[in-house]
Amino acid sequence: MVLEATMICIDNSEWMRNGDYSPSRFQAQADAVNLLCGAKTQSNPENTVGILTMAGKQVRVLTTLTSDLGKILSCMHGLEVGGEMNLSAGIQVAQLALKHRQNKNQQQRIIVFAGSPIKYDKKMLETIGKKLKKNNVSLDIVDFGEEEDGKPEKLEALFAAVNSNDSSHIVHIPPGGTAISDALMNTPVFTGDGEGGSGFAAAAAAAAAGGGDFDFGVDPNLDPELALALRVSMEEERARQEAAAKRAADEAARQGKGEEPPSNSQDTAMVDKDAEATNSAADPMDEVNALLQQAIALSMENAASDPSVRDSEMAEATNDDQDLAMALQMSIQESAKDSSSQSDMSKALEDQSFVSSVLASLPGVDPNDPSVKELLASFQGQASQSESGQKKDEDKPPSDDK
Amino acid sequence: MACLHDHSCEDHDCSSNWSLYKHIDLPKVSALNEAVPGSAKSVFKPWEHRLNSSEEHLESNEGDPELLVYIPFTSDVKIKSIAIIGGTDGTSPSKMRAFINRDGIDFSDAQNMQAVQEWDLVENLNGLLEFQTRYAKFQSVASITLHFPDNFGGDTSQIHYIGFKGEATQLKRDVVATIVYELMPNPSDHKTKAESGGGFSQVE
Repeated sequence: MVLEATMICIDNSEWMRNGDYSPSRFQAQADAVNLLCGAKTQSNPENTVGILTMAGKQVRVLTTLTSDLGKILSCMHGLEVGGEMNLSAGIQVAQLALKHRQNKNQQQRIIVFAGSPIKYDKKMLETIGKKLKKNNVSLDIVDFGEEEDGKPEKLEALFAAVNSNDSSHIVHIPPGGTAISDALMNTPVFTGDGEGGSGFAAAAAAAAAGGGDFDFGVDPNLDPELALALRVSMEEERARQEAAAKRAADEAARQGKGEEPPSNSQDTAMVDKDAEATNSAADPMDEVNALLQQAIALSMENAASDPSVRDSEMAEATNDDQDLAMALQMSIQESAKDSSSQSDMSKALEDQSFVSSVLASLPGVDPNDPSVKELLASFQGQASQSESGQKKDEDKPPSDDK
Repeated sequence: MACLHDHSCEDHDCSSNWSLYKHIDLPKVSALNEAVPGSAKSVFKPWEHRLNSSEEHLESNEGDPELLVYIPFTSDVKIKSIAIIGGTDGTSPSKMRAFINRDGIDFSDAQNMQAVQEWDLVENLNGLLEFQTRYAKFQSVASITLHFPDNFGGDTSQIHYIGFKGEATQLKRDVVATIVYELMPNPSDHKTKAESGGGFSQVE
């Protein structure tokens, strides 16, 4: 939160037409300047910023030191590119503008964007630097654009002459890749001498860099509840999809066994759903994979099914037990002859008592409900292999009541 | 003009005369062209400690003997004379120019402006030399800026002690610094006695 008056010296020489920074050097520079002005004015409300251009017929001050961000941004429009940059005159005019700042308590700072070749020699740059240091003016140098021989060394010499107590900085930005504003975001030019920086600068840097680092694009530090909620819902979705996949695999695999396997598979699916709800997903995973393979193979050779017979039996149950009925209907519609399901599992599920106990544990399903019983009976009755199912079938004639 | 004490200082205490250092607003003291930022504060100390060269002193940057020191006071003072102790080997300043009640002076301003008073200094290593002011011009001084443009040939300029002799008034020259002007009245700021529950207007 240092109280500062900053003059920004923009390079609008011919060399700024080049496109090695996208969209053009001048545009990249303008973006960086806009961000910089915002950061400076945000970090301390009494900070002032002014802008001048160095190239062209003469050095032109676009705005004098002001804390009005709108005025600063608006003066960046309609700038023309042309001429040669005059670095020493630019810095001198900036120094003069800073000298006449209204609030003498502000620290003086000049930020120079040096994109074109430097025609001065080292000695002259060093005297410029010394003069700035003598008057307690800090200088930030942004070296980008033209990379001629000796330019970095010259700028480093200028930086060494002006630097007192680490209040000045120099940044070299090579062309291609990052934009100038992104490259500057993490440097002390933006964050201001490492005192923690402004909230603006920090937030902008975090948004740019942090988007790809976190799983859901949300920083757990910034918003832990949101991050947690996203993660939990992702896991629930994954579990649900596994259950659905397993169900589909089971049904496809067991169609050859008539209706019993579908009911069993339905039970299986429900059991699995319970199991997964109580957090055990390891074993079914392998089964799901195997079943999926089979399901895919089977569905390739599926003939058209004969749903009509099934449907009539299903009709009564449908009204009462929608979920159960719908799932069963879906499973029936895939007709298949062969079955190569796991016989041991199906045997276990043939046991009526087991099935009814499983059903009892399911919420919303009452095993004594006649329609449920009828459903079970009808499936088991159509199974040709099961013995116990047929016996029960005789005991429980299908009834029409709901 | 310089004047010498005509008595030895062991007899009586000269330090009470040089008491203006207590009225210097030390946190706001600043200097331009100092080699170590913040070292300007170290030259203001009690008279007895003026020869303590173990502590820091004010030194200018390499190859540049100019120094500019800005000294604000906590209240208005009248300055009778100034004492300067410089460094050895030609690093003592040779000229001093003073500006009164102006802040934010930098080197170009100092070189162009007419100083209130200028002195030619001599090398003064024990601080017994004092330089008198034209007292009439130094009657209500809120801040003084001392400009040392040159030295006796050394590479840098060093100053070990600056002392002021004079009187302090309790007045402050500045206008009131912080006032909040109300553009529109804010009722919550103006609670009446009845609202705040005091007074005799309560009816049980």
